[in-house]
Amino acid sequence: MAIISVSGDPGCAQEDLSRAIAQRCGFELVIPRTLEESIRADFGGQEIPDRAWPPLLRSAIGRLAVDRHVVYSLEGGERLFHGFPGVLRILLIAPPSRRIGAVMVDRQLDREAAKQFLKHWETEILAERKRRFGRSHARLHEFDLILNDNHQTPEMLASVVDAAIQSRGLLDEGMLSAAAEAQVQFQARLQLAKFGLTPPDLAAAERNGFGHPTEEIFARLLDFYRIEWQYEPRSFPLQWDKDGHVMEAFTPDFFLPAFDLYVELTTMKQALVTKKNRKIRLLRTIYPHVNIQVFYQKDIQDLIVKYELSERAASH
Amino acid sequence: MNSPNEPPAIERVLFTAEQIDVRIREVAAQISADFAGRELKLVAVLKGSVFFLTALARHITVPLRVDFLAISHFTNQPGAPGVVRISKDLDDAIEGEHVLLVEDIVDTGFTTRYLLQNLAGRGPASLGICTLLDRTSRRIAKTNINYSCFEIPDRFVVGFGLDHKQLYRNLDCIAVIKPE
Repeated sequence: MAIISVSGDPGCAQEDLSRAIAQRCGFELVIPRTLEESIRADFGGQEIPDRAWPPLLRSAIGRLAVDRHVVYSLEGGERLFHGFPGVLRILLIAPPSRRIGAVMVDRQLDREAAKQFLKHWETEILAERKRRFGRSHARLHEFDLILNDNHQTPEMLASVVDAAIQSRGLLDEGMLSAAAEAQVQFQARLQLAKFGLTPPDLAAAERNGFGHPTEEIFARLLDFYRIEWQYEPRSFPLQWDKDGHVMEAFTPDFFLPAFDLYVELTTMKQALVTKKNRKIRLLRTIYPHVNIQVFYQKDIQDLIVKYELSERAASH
Repeated sequence: MNSPNEPPAIERVLFTAEQIDVRIREVAAQISADFAGRELKLVAVLKGSVFFLTALARHITVPLRVDFLAISHFTNQPGAPGVVRISKDLDDAIEGEHVLLVEDIVDTGFTTRYLLQNLAGRGPASLGICTLLDRTSRRIAKTNINYSCFEIPDRFVVGFGLDHKQLYRNLDCIAVIKPE
């Protein structure tokens, strides 16, 4: 198997680097937030102790690594597969000015407020590491590669990681064998038993199968701008029968965690979108806290003209 | 081929040259007041923003410098760059300077977000955005725009630096093109 973990200080572009590595090296990008949400859903609201998270995440990522190479960005992630072969642990660092700048932009804060935000964020992360992994600070010797993202784009850094993968021969070792995966799961079950938990049978993070070529292009556009996305992560019930069974639901195409925004793409003609518009109005009424942006056919056509994309997508 | 100045593809004029001139003077006066006593650097993104930058800069009264950058563009073609990157960087550092990013249009906000993230990391004293056109209806990446000349409807527009297949940048007005 090849598993790459990317850790870093708050305000560094760990997720951007993970995405760039996934694109360049053909790895599966695992988004921990998605993974954690699905694990929580698997346990149906049961409280999960902090110290149970490392074996749960190891179990879920281990399942994925059976048939694909995996990259993930997770605070303390270098500890998940400690001692396993075929693992590359990366630490991303950056000077405070760059990290403050990133916070200024992402949170739309002035420099002083961004400094305070970053300080608070660092404290929170150290506390979470301590709760989950029993240690607040990372140890430098636990990383295979330390990269500085100041003045270097994620694409440039991904090329360095690619070289490290090649020189280590990580891909030649193949995927995680069934026996090794069984060992990972056995260890996870053993550790989780202390908390009275059993790992779920299925890892939730699966490949994205797009329903329409436009969706795939839109996903590539988001990738291009290094914007994290999830495809159809959630359905919103809109109507129920008298027994409480869901009669109608709506599943937006994308969720963009960075903007807390759902995006729905529709390539139907304007006159035919009445039904969908009704659903979106219902969604906004029932779930007023949910932000959703709808892209209609003409919006998508404009994007296609703007980016001179394939006409194939427009005609579907 | 149609002449860019006699464009049959134009559906209607959205803002005339006179309207644009008046509005740019107003925004330039506001910027001059906000940056009174300070030096300013205008950073424009090639190519579309150049027309707006030159018109704006002529009416700003505080001392200013200009610099340019360009970024790679998204295409769906095989072999195209996988992620956005700076294809032409600024000539000079911006550390400690008051920087205004000059855009022709802020649409989804993807490009602006990327540029702000990139520039903010270089330690400017302040960083703002001034855009000729603001199309909020398709905004995904939330962006705090400091100066905006016009908010525009959900239509494809050309002129005053904005293009359609690299044409119509030289129109002195801003116009809506007919759907293809």
